[in-house]
Amino acid sequence: MALIQVEKLSKTYKKGDNKIYALRNINFDIQEGEYVSIVGKSGSGKSTLLNLLGGMDTSAEGGVYYNGKNLLTMNEKDLSYHRKFTVGMIFQSFNLIPSRTAIDNVKLPLIFSNYPVMLRETRACELLYNMGLYNRALHYPSELSGGEAQRVAIARALANKPKVILADEPTGNLDTATSAEIIGLLKMFNEKHNITIIMVTHDKETAYKVSHKTILLSDGEIIKITSNQNK
Amino acid sequence: MKISDIILLASDNLKRNIFRTALTAFGVAVGIGSLSSMISLGKGVSTNISKQMESNDIFTGLTMSSRSMDFDGYSNKTILSDDKKQTVPLSDSTIKEILSWEEVATAFPEQIKPATINLEGKSVVTNIKAIPLEMNGFYPFTKINPGSFYTSESEPCVIMSKIVLDKMGITTPYDSLIGKNIEIITRVFDLDKIDLITSKKKQLPVKNDTTILKIKGIVQTTSFSAGIFNDGIFLPPMTCSFIPSIDLRNVYDIINGEQGKYGKYNTVHIRVKEYAMLKPVKLRLEEKGFSVFSIGDKLEDFEKIFFMLDTVMAVIGSIALIISIFGIVNTLIMAIYERRKEIGIMKSLGATAGQIKMIFYFEAAIIGFGGGVFGVLCGKLISQASGKIANSQLGNFFDSNIEYFSFSWEIVFFSILFSVLVSVIASIYPANKASKIDPLNALRRE
Repeated sequence: MALIQVEKLSKTYKKGDNKIYALRNINFDIQEGEYVSIVGKSGSGKSTLLNLLGGMDTSAEGGVYYNGKNLLTMNEKDLSYHRKFTVGMIFQSFNLIPSRTAIDNVKLPLIFSNYPVMLRETRACELLYNMGLYNRALHYPSELSGGEAQRVAIARALANKPKVILADEPTGNLDTATSAEIIGLLKMFNEKHNITIIMVTHDKETAYKVSHKTILLSDGEIIKITSNQNK
Repeated sequence: MKISDIILLASDNLKRNIFRTALTAFGVAVGIGSLSSMISLGKGVSTNISKQMESNDIFTGLTMSSRSMDFDGYSNKTILSDDKKQTVPLSDSTIKEILSWEEVATAFPEQIKPATINLEGKSVVTNIKAIPLEMNGFYPFTKINPGSFYTSESEPCVIMSKIVLDKMGITTPYDSLIGKNIEIITRVFDLDKIDLITSKKKQLPVKNDTTILKIKGIVQTTSFSAGIFNDGIFLPPMTCSFIPSIDLRNVYDIINGEQGKYGKYNTVHIRVKEYAMLKPVKLRLEEKGFSVFSIGDKLEDFEKIFFMLDTVMAVIGSIALIISIFGIVNTLIMAIYERRKEIGIMKSLGATAGQIKMIFYFEAAIIGFGGGVFGVLCGKLISQASGKIANSQLGNFFDSNIEYFSFSWEIVFFSILFSVLVSVIASIYPANKASKIDPLNALRRE
């Protein structure tokens, strides 16, 4: 059974009297441990799809199933649980809390998940160490470079050991070298820890290079799903 | 999420805008400070002044007369008015009967004579009052210092009151006054000048009579002592009766043809054993046709006044607190607008609506706690200063310094608790608003 099943997923919004489709009849499966990229032009519905997969948005028709449970019909409490333990989110603009140090940002999901107080520090340090940021732990986001900030965001996303990482244009604000570094990190977690990665990007080349599956979206519809099981 | 985590997150958030947090807490402090000091004033006034009154036996004394009577509690003047219906005479047998009542501690006729007294070259017009030996164990004669109470009903001595000495402006140490002579000048009929009544000069046929007695003791009475004891000088009854003086009431009675109608005495002072016995004794005397006055009757009025005072003060403090509540609501709503994205991030990381609410409740609680503690401290300081001012202004009104503000631990505890509770209540709306923030919208708004 697939880890994630998206069935007949449609999302519309109204513009005047017209009904606009942000997503139209989307269907696909994602297996555990897959690296999936969602590519398409601006406004193609990539981020909308990712938000629906992350349980950040539930106003859509159809179904987004995680282990058989439909996110679109979940209550607020179950959605919070999903965001806390099942998925970890990475954003283009990092979304670190500026008033908290790197380590405190990483500790934040551990606080919400009631992770044992005594072990939080160790867990956060371990994650930052794995990201090569141990010496930046007490720095504030404003004191970090873009690559460092994104690595802190990845560490934070991994804090509660989720099965899935949802990355919304994780390299959109980074230069080529740093982008490669971040993609490399995601690939490493995918391969080494069997974490499912779902990444939204407009960079088709990178997507085809690193992903097991690439979903090409255009105007809210899937144009093509490319599988490359050799990756 | 553990409480320690919530406190940490909430205090981190407050620290970010320390100036605004301090201002909001200051607003709460003003409310709590005024509320706590006002409640403590209400409590202090009602408890300590009542206690002072009780310690002065002010509520166990009553004055009875065969005439109808009214009392001006502030000037302590007894206004007697002739009421033709009240004609039960006050005699020795009446006093004897009253003394036999179980509830009565003592009863004696009030013999008061107007006089001018001279001491150390200074003089004052006052009253001389006959006080029986039995009063030795009663207030204010329990507070004779220096000196002592007289030992016989005919001892040629006086007990001075501190108030009279103050009025005379005598600054000599009181110890040195004991045993000194005092001149008591009273007015008596001058039979040699009786023809003056009918003469064109219209002068009364009176002359001065001087009696010299020794000072036996000084009683530390205050303006707040009961009835006849707050002023004047006190003499043994026999000694007092030897001092000649015109009794103008008797003169009026003779003129009105009512000689003997009201009995031998004008008024009798009665002390009951305890306050609870005052009403039954008063009713019994009234049933017998006497007119009775007691300041104890006024206790219920006092209590009503204290209750009103408490209420008014609590209302003023509450208004200040309500204003500070608006401050809290404003601060938290501002925080929501500023931290909208942050709340979105927290929700995207799995924070529940309840956890977001709890952070805001604790922020308000911390402001409330800080404001409460600071407010109580300010209230305590203000009340101490006000208490000192009040005591310096009203010092001679009571026996000792009064604690006008009763700042008990209960007031401290409940003021802080109230401050926290009110602050948390004020945060309900902002916290609900924050918990309903849609993470998607919040993150998009960037």
